[in-house]
Amino acid sequence: MQTFEILANPNFFMRVARAILPWGWAATVITLGAGLYLALFTSPADYQQGETVRIMYVHVPAAWMALFIYVLMAVSSAVALIFRHPLADAAAKAAAPFGAAFCFLSLATGSIWGKPMWGTWWVWDARLTSMFVLMLLYLGYMAVWRAFDDPHRAAGLARVVALVGVINIPIVKFSVDWWNTLHQPASVVKMSGPAIDPAMLWPLLLMALGYTLLFICLHLMAIGNEITARKIRAARLRAVGAH
Amino acid sequence: MDTTSPHFAYVLASYVLSGAVLLGLLLWTVVRKRNLDAEARRVLKSGE
Repeated sequence: MQTFEILANPNFFMRVARAILPWGWAATVITLGAGLYLALFTSPADYQQGETVRIMYVHVPAAWMALFIYVLMAVSSAVALIFRHPLADAAAKAAAPFGAAFCFLSLATGSIWGKPMWGTWWVWDARLTSMFVLMLLYLGYMAVWRAFDDPHRAAGLARVVALVGVINIPIVKFSVDWWNTLHQPASVVKMSGPAIDPAMLWPLLLMALGYTLLFICLHLMAIGNEITARKIRAARLRAVGAH
Repeated sequence: MDTTSPHFAYVLASYVLSGAVLLGLLLWTVVRKRNLDAEARRVLKSGE
């Protein structure tokens, strides 16, 4: 518990983030560069989808990140609720815009893939609809933080939105198994192992790692921004109290 | 990659959109950091 307290100290966090970020950015650039090279130039075209299969390398990692970030927000919100630690709220709040952006990218690139492959930009099938609900949850969560002047009240309601909304995550994941959907079932994360050729699996995993590293770097910076914003607010409140 | 493929425009659109959004996130975060750091220096210095 004492280790948690030390790690969750905002000043300690800022020092660790500053030390990690240069390495994090270097790893992000290398991983994304290698992933893009494999995805665009060495991986083969699909025998049915042709070149369109390359959309998978930006669509699937974006969808994974959208799900992962929402779970991270829910866990952070639970930690904030149980331990009342302000850094947990800051972590959840800072992650939301990135989750929303990845969710948007997942929906948009899926739609771009859908037009040539399904003949339509959009269908209200279970996977697409549950991802659309996830997008609404992200927007709702961010709206709650903007709706209140008092950050403590906003944090209280935002935690509830994050924790209630997490029920949508297994619905997204298992929607293709529970309902008869146009969206294909899982082909990477499944009990029997990946059902995808290694020539396509490796670029996909590398792109997913690149997206994850990118998110870690952006999130560390955004938590730092949140801490700075809170210091400014506290300084202003102290100044108002002193006058 | 076959750029003469009939669906190449869809592939290109996906990568350009992804790049633009991710670059936008990066710029937004960096600009916000610069603005907040500048504001923090000003506020903490002046005791506003």
